[in-house]
Amino acid sequence: MKKKLFLIMLVVFLAVLSACGNSAIQSTSKKEEGGSKSGGTIKIGVLLPDSGVYASLGKHLHKGMELYFDSIDWKIGSKKIEIIKEDSEADPQVALRKARKLIDQDKVDILTGTVSTAVAYAIRDEVDKKKIPFLVSHAGGNDLTRSKRSDYIWRSSFSSWQIGNSLGEWAFHNVGKTMYIAAADYAFGREVSEAFKEAYTAAGGKIVGEVYPPLGNNDYSSYLTTIKNAKAEAVYAFFAGSDAVRFVQQYDQFGLKEDKKLIGSGWLVSEDVRKSQGNAGVGTISSIFWDYSIKTEENRQFKEAFEKKYNERPTIEALEGYDAAKIIAEALTTLDGDASDPDKVVEAISNVEFISPRGPIKFDKETHHVIQNMYIIETKLVNGQTENEVIEIIEEVRDPGK
Amino acid sequence: MNKKGFVLIAAVMLLIFSPFIFSLFYLNLVTEILILAIFALSLNILVGYTGLVSLGHAAFFGVGAYMSAILAREISPNFFLTLFASLAAAIIASAIIGIFCVKVSGFYFLMLTLAFSQMIYSFVHQSTTITGGSNGLSGIPSPLIGSLDFSNPVYFYYLILLLFILIYGGLSLIVHSPFGQVLIGIRENETRLKSMGYHTTLYKLAAFVLAGGLGGVAGSLYTSFNSFISPSDVYWTMSGSVLIMVLIGGSGTMIGPVLGAAFIVILETIVSSYTTMWMMIIGIIFILFVVFFPKGIVGLGKLLFQSFSKSNKLSAISGKKSNALYNNDVKN
Amino acid sequence: MDIIGAQLVNSISYGLLLFVITCGLSLVFGILGVLNLAHGSLYMIGAYVSYSITVHSGQNFWLALIIAPLAVAVCSLIIEMILLRPTYQLGHLSQVLLTFGLAYVIHDMTAAIWGSDVLSIPLPQSLSGTVTLFNQAFPVYRLAVIAIGLILAGLLWFIQEKTRWGAIIRAGLSDKEMICALGVNIQLVFTVVFFIGGYLAGFGGVIAAPILGLYPSMEFQTLILALVVLVIGGLGSIAGTFVASLTIGIVETFCRFLVPELSLFVVFGLMAVVLIVKPNGLLGRQVVKH
Repeated sequence: MKKKLFLIMLVVFLAVLSACGNSAIQSTSKKEEGGSKSGGTIKIGVLLPDSGVYASLGKHLHKGMELYFDSIDWKIGSKKIEIIKEDSEADPQVALRKARKLIDQDKVDILTGTVSTAVAYAIRDEVDKKKIPFLVSHAGGNDLTRSKRSDYIWRSSFSSWQIGNSLGEWAFHNVGKTMYIAAADYAFGREVSEAFKEAYTAAGGKIVGEVYPPLGNNDYSSYLTTIKNAKAEAVYAFFAGSDAVRFVQQYDQFGLKEDKKLIGSGWLVSEDVRKSQGNAGVGTISSIFWDYSIKTEENRQFKEAFEKKYNERPTIEALEGYDAAKIIAEALTTLDGDASDPDKVVEAISNVEFISPRGPIKFDKETHHVIQNMYIIETKLVNGQTENEVIEIIEEVRDPGK
Repeated sequence: MNKKGFVLIAAVMLLIFSPFIFSLFYLNLVTEILILAIFALSLNILVGYTGLVSLGHAAFFGVGAYMSAILAREISPNFFLTLFASLAAAIIASAIIGIFCVKVSGFYFLMLTLAFSQMIYSFVHQSTTITGGSNGLSGIPSPLIGSLDFSNPVYFYYLILLLFILIYGGLSLIVHSPFGQVLIGIRENETRLKSMGYHTTLYKLAAFVLAGGLGGVAGSLYTSFNSFISPSDVYWTMSGSVLIMVLIGGSGTMIGPVLGAAFIVILETIVSSYTTMWMMIIGIIFILFVVFFPKGIVGLGKLLFQSFSKSNKLSAISGKKSNALYNNDVKN
Repeated sequence: MDIIGAQLVNSISYGLLLFVITCGLSLVFGILGVLNLAHGSLYMIGAYVSYSITVHSGQNFWLALIIAPLAVAVCSLIIEMILLRPTYQLGHLSQVLLTFGLAYVIHDMTAAIWGSDVLSIPLPQSLSGTVTLFNQAFPVYRLAVIAIGLILAGLLWFIQEKTRWGAIIRAGLSDKEMICALGVNIQLVFTVVFFIGGYLAGFGGVIAAPILGLYPSMEFQTLILALVVLVIGGLGSIAGTFVASLTIGIVETFCRFLVPELSLFVVFGLMAVVLIVKPNGLLGRQVVKH
């Protein structure tokens, strides 16, 4: 008898609970109301890795964003800016869960991030379905603004294509007519080297061989020995993070620098890996969309503000975070801080253009991707330390979108 | 009605009412817990009932998941098609791998399952054309049954709930059947069973295939849920994660893996929102469970329950003295 | 033919590096029967401590080589006393799980202390040149690793085969109860072995760091590699670990040279084959089953 009573009470309790509160049935059967979202604050969801392999990139992106928002006092119009951070752990499974939390639970107005392309792909459908403006501030997978394009996804960082393609023709004319390719075997490495190959061979160059060491490979000696014996004038390499440190170091240690110039993407010699490489990176030529050494007034101010606040040099990712924050702020300013209509928000984003520390940037309205300069940089030894120097600027590089 | 049936009915009612109580975010979390619970239940057949600790279960999860993803994208997102194809693929994979694995036991079994799962992982990671490589496969269409589209999270939840109840019920029957008893016998003392005339290798293989097949089903559901799959779901850390779920929940019981899955998902989601040191917290909790509550949450629950009941102070103490992690009583 | 010779040198260097990293794990598993899944973490601590000594405090590599392994050995001593000693009666599997949980804890602790940036240690001055062999430039350090690996192997073999301690260890492998009955303090043996295992892990960390670098999750990568070596070589056998390390060094290096896409697959395939055909490994002894 007691148990039956308990069951009945349970049913009543559940019925009461379901009547009130924000239940799933209610939110999925109601059409998007929108009004419930705004208030006095603009909520920006930031999905970046705080732990795992890409943690340091995530940290730099955060720092850049916070630097910019500090400069506008965290206010747009009369509204305050609130950042809700979630750790994507660079794991698509976890990131999707966190994205759902940011969208369904925290009800963010705008989403930004991610570092890993796999994560961006994982949340793409969710973002598109729920109509959440998503400003991609790092993940560079080509498809994000090609086959997986969405009205609500806009990218302010770069595409693998832009990175690889920009060095292709230049390398043929200025480095050598034959090239060996070495790239980390994951989607990013493959996409960038593919873009390079396309541009290089179109200009007339010949690819002598290619090799794709696994991501996180620790010992390149075997590959380097093969490359040393190949008849190529130079090597195009794509590695990032700890792979870049090891590859560049070992490239030097195994004596390849003597007869084969090393060229590649800017991540081979970026601010966060150069120190660990010692002098091994000197002489490397790379292509990237921003470098510490860019000599413009905007970059000088950015560097000064960053170094004052954090006591360290900004990295590529810091710049990406900074620009992303600025884009969001400028877009929302034109709407007077009203982020309630996602279609208006993305339109405002598409119209943003300004001179960033990386040069002039604006959006391609068709591909939703940023149009920016690409810089060819060379790593030199200055006062006993390695520094990069811009040796050529390629203006207004536009991703082809297919 | 007895205590167990009562608890069961209350739990089922709570689950049925979930979409009315929980917000969308938590409902999705419950859906994910149910899917991972199926995965944990499948591993439990090996670890909890047959006594074979595997560190390669993610392989079958991955086989099922990728099969589902590729079929849904290339042919049709018909739910029955993807589900049964994934089940079939996982059964074939586990049969092949199982033939080799059941010949060894203990530490060697652990390592062999790891080796096979890493081989599958490297295949998945490198084959960019078929599996999307490190970027994974995304934009997978939502499952369809006839013309009913399950993109609505509430409908999908009920579909998963139904499957979960069926699988849980089915496994309960299997585990309490003579077949299940043989498995438990193998766990307790394989030599004795052999001397009784049982072809233990065949039984172990059957358990392996059952576990692998269900693991593939979990993988397929996971793909349908997320519309996405990536190689990180086939990596050994996924195998480690589900093993932790089974052990913390209480291996060798039916409800244990379910509780373990819920515990880990909730911990991962909520804890990592507050701190970046979530790995340390999971590590400490895991250590505490291994040392003090080797029977997992189920054991802990029983302990608390016993210490509340008036008689039985004594059995509460003897409950603590149990040692090996998966030595549970046959009745469960 | 030069290129084959060059790749051979690469193989041996990489293989012996694996040996230096893995021998501690092999020793501990052979004697204690505990698969220390925190071995990668101890290796990592060794690398990070030597980073602090060399880069942070600007001291020299050799000083790091002396201090860091000791620091790690002390850590593993503490681990043995607090975590393992009170729990031997739970059984081998439980202890393995304990070390797994410990690895998680250490992961976050090291991230908190040293951050999550990618770091590296410069080569010691005296070993930073290059040498030409087979018409190929090799960093001297790589050849030094070969030498260090051989010396270490020789030392461990000598201790195991020719000294009293070694005899105790070999006996302990076969029959623990018997040596207790003969009056040996088995608890002390366990503690000492774990201490040495930790020392070797830390030593491996210092030696490998200039080549492999320091980065988040390095301990798990190293752990998987060490497990592969352990399995292929055979549990509880230093000679087996030695042979397996060289085998993997050769297989992996030549695979990268000939069929680069398959190198990861082949290593695990080799592991599977050994487990199926010769589960005790190439040179393994039968470890006491739990």
